Amino acid sequence: MFQSVDEVISGLGKQNYLCNKSVATVVYLGTRLQKPILVEGPAGVGKTELGKVLAESLGMELIRLQCYEGLDEAKALYEWEYAKQLLYTQILKDKIGEVLQGAKTLKEAVDYVAKQDGVFFSDRFLLPRPLLRALLSDQQVVLLIDEIDKSDAEFEAFLLEVLSDFQITVPEIGTLKAKHVPLVVLTSNNSREMSDALKRRCLHLYLDFPEAEREKEIITLKVPGVGSKLADEVVRLLHRLRKLDLKKTPSISESLDWVRALTLLNIKELDHELVDQTMSALMKYEADIRKAHQELKSFLAEKQAQRPAAGGGEKDHLH
Amino acid sequence: MQSRVIEFANVLRRNGIRVSLSENMDAFRALELLGIGDQQLFRSALRATLVKRTGDIQPFDELFDYFFLGIGQALDALDRKIMDDLGLTPEQFQQMLEQIQKLLKEMAGELSELTRALLQNNRAELERLLREAVEQEMNGGTPESLRHTPYTRMMMRLRLERVQSEIERFRGMLQMLAQSGEALQDVMRYLDERMRDLNRLLREIIQQEQRKQGVEPRDNQQRSALADKSFSFYTEDDIRRMNDAVARLAQRLKNRLSVRRKKAVRGRFNVKETLRKNLQYGGVPFQIQLDRRKKTKPQVMVLCDISDSVLNASRFMLQFVYSVQDLYAKVRSFVFVAEIGEVTKLFEDNDISTAVETALKGDVIDVFSHSNFGRAFEQFHRNFFPAITSKTTVLIIGDGRNNYNRPADWVLREVRRKAKQLIWLNPESRMTWGIGDSEMPRYAPHCHVAEECRSISQLYKIVDLITP
Repeated sequence: MFQSVDEVISGLGKQNYLCNKSVATVVYLGTRLQKPILVEGPAGVGKTELGKVLAESLGMELIRLQCYEGLDEAKALYEWEYAKQLLYTQILKDKIGEVLQGAKTLKEAVDYVAKQDGVFFSDRFLLPRPLLRALLSDQQVVLLIDEIDKSDAEFEAFLLEVLSDFQITVPEIGTLKAKHVPLVVLTSNNSREMSDALKRRCLHLYLDFPEAEREKEIITLKVPGVGSKLADEVVRLLHRLRKLDLKKTPSISESLDWVRALTLLNIKELDHELVDQTMSALMKYEADIRKAHQELKSFLAEKQAQRPAAGGGEKDHLH
Repeated sequence: MQSRVIEFANVLRRNGIRVSLSENMDAFRALELLGIGDQQLFRSALRATLVKRTGDIQPFDELFDYFFLGIGQALDALDRKIMDDLGLTPEQFQQMLEQIQKLLKEMAGELSELTRALLQNNRAELERLLREAVEQEMNGGTPESLRHTPYTRMMMRLRLERVQSEIERFRGMLQMLAQSGEALQDVMRYLDERMRDLNRLLREIIQQEQRKQGVEPRDNQQRSALADKSFSFYTEDDIRRMNDAVARLAQRLKNRLSVRRKKAVRGRFNVKETLRKNLQYGGVPFQIQLDRRKKTKPQVMVLCDISDSVLNASRFMLQFVYSVQDLYAKVRSFVFVAEIGEVTKLFEDNDISTAVETALKGDVIDVFSHSNFGRAFEQFHRNFFPAITSKTTVLIIGDGRNNYNRPADWVLREVRRKAKQLIWLNPESRMTWGIGDSEMPRYAPHCHVAEECRSISQLYKIVDLITP
């Protein structure tokens, strides 16, 4: 477990995840106060990634629950294994007959069976889904509830019990308490405002696109072969593109893909033709690409303008 | 510290940020863990525990600055400015302050606390004096003093004229003391600057205090006022803010759509699900499982009147249509005055403001002619009627003022017969329908819904009708 905020930064850093102090503070508080962390922010800033690296840096198992419309308890929590129950009854038919042998009346027989019904509604036949698995795990785990905003309001309400008391009520068995309180990370793209009740139980973390400096660090860290100059130019271009009114702003993951593509092509700096050809890795809409085109032109023009000085330097070097 | 945090939570509440008791307690626990030594940690801890909405982060940051840093930042800036103006390094500046302190001791006569704090650059004392005054001012403003602005009242309360005269006196003494000293020149310039600084600080601190009290009108209030305002009274500023309202409206629609997907009562028999579900009954199908009903995205056709008389409303509607396009399987948008033109492609290719402006500018159809609903409807029937299916919702936005032309209401009758829904939104008050050249009484009976839609809040209600 983390002992200080700086430890969080270095711990996550070891997993190639760079975060600033305020992000680290929230993570630290989440682990120490045992409160779920609700991560919001635009797509592709590393919300899901945060949950993953948190698990890795703490050496815990990651249990992931991907939310979608129509996700219900049977898929998120537990389900009785009917087939297995049935199979067991079939196999144990003789044994059951034996047990019932002593019974004289039907009522007695029913009582006998009733005494045994705990056998059939026990953990043995409970098929744990992610939430229950996280609670019943023998070691502390990280539970990542991804895209909670995609789930229905009913499911959200049902999560409340899990998140605040870390317990689940199964009607046939009773209340199951967590052996170890899992670290919970919830992510949301904000396609729906979460209920206040849920928010109250969580720490809130807003992840935004990183500052230019940090983004460059991220790129150099994740794409080892990238030249410093290319990384620098890419980051500057990205920050300009994000200011445009685009249908989908280029995210960190997309920019990483793009830089990877560029490094594979063994490119050291941006030029027009090249960017045109590889733009599709960065932009996902035709209209966006067209809009970005204009910005790109002016970006490259500015670069050209600055060039003579830099070019001169290189030439000197050659002489 | 706890009481400070509670007080801060109250300030947040007054500014429309919801903070519950349990969140307050979380904040305490977080601070116990982190301590309060590091300002950045302190801020992050409070933000994570107290603020849960993305939109509240910015107000939180501002209020945090006011509340915990007070005028400290302003003081920093002023100090830097003075040092820049006088060309002093921080050490020299410090030396000068010590010099002033010595000179003040030599000066005859009593000095007020405020003057002393100001000239010696005693920040804590300065802030305390100003803060006390402003708090008294805010809590117990006497009615008669309402004639004055808070600023002038504060000036009186702090007796600024006394400070002024004291500084003049000090200045006079300096002039007598040294006729030639370069260093004293600096001191004198420093005095002038400080006097002006005091005014600046005063304004700053009043602003902060007002903000804390939630006196300043918050966006929320403005927004709700906007919701009830009629489109025709929109100012430029409102139109800009409208984007925000439209976005939230579209969001609400999305939410409504995403939540509904329940098991159908009717539907096709699902063999696989039924077998699985009934394993517990030994395969005897007690519980029949049916297929989920397919989530059908409605198709929408929007006909928007963009004649002068309803310009503001149609601008709003076009923005709305644009924003919700991705909710629907298919949206086809048309604009009309006397002729009808399709703008679907325009909307798909351009960003919202360009698209709406182009549609309204007259590139698609002639916008300077007189409205002719009849002709536009006939044209619509001729060219686009086959595109209507039983899933289509047809939405007409217009005032129905036809300039006494042929109404062609038979088109609406036909449309109604074929389409799933026909909705007419009229930006005119219902009272005026049918008066003058308004053909609404003729059009309305053909529509499933014909409503007046003059403001955002009315639109909210109507949106619920359009959702499938």
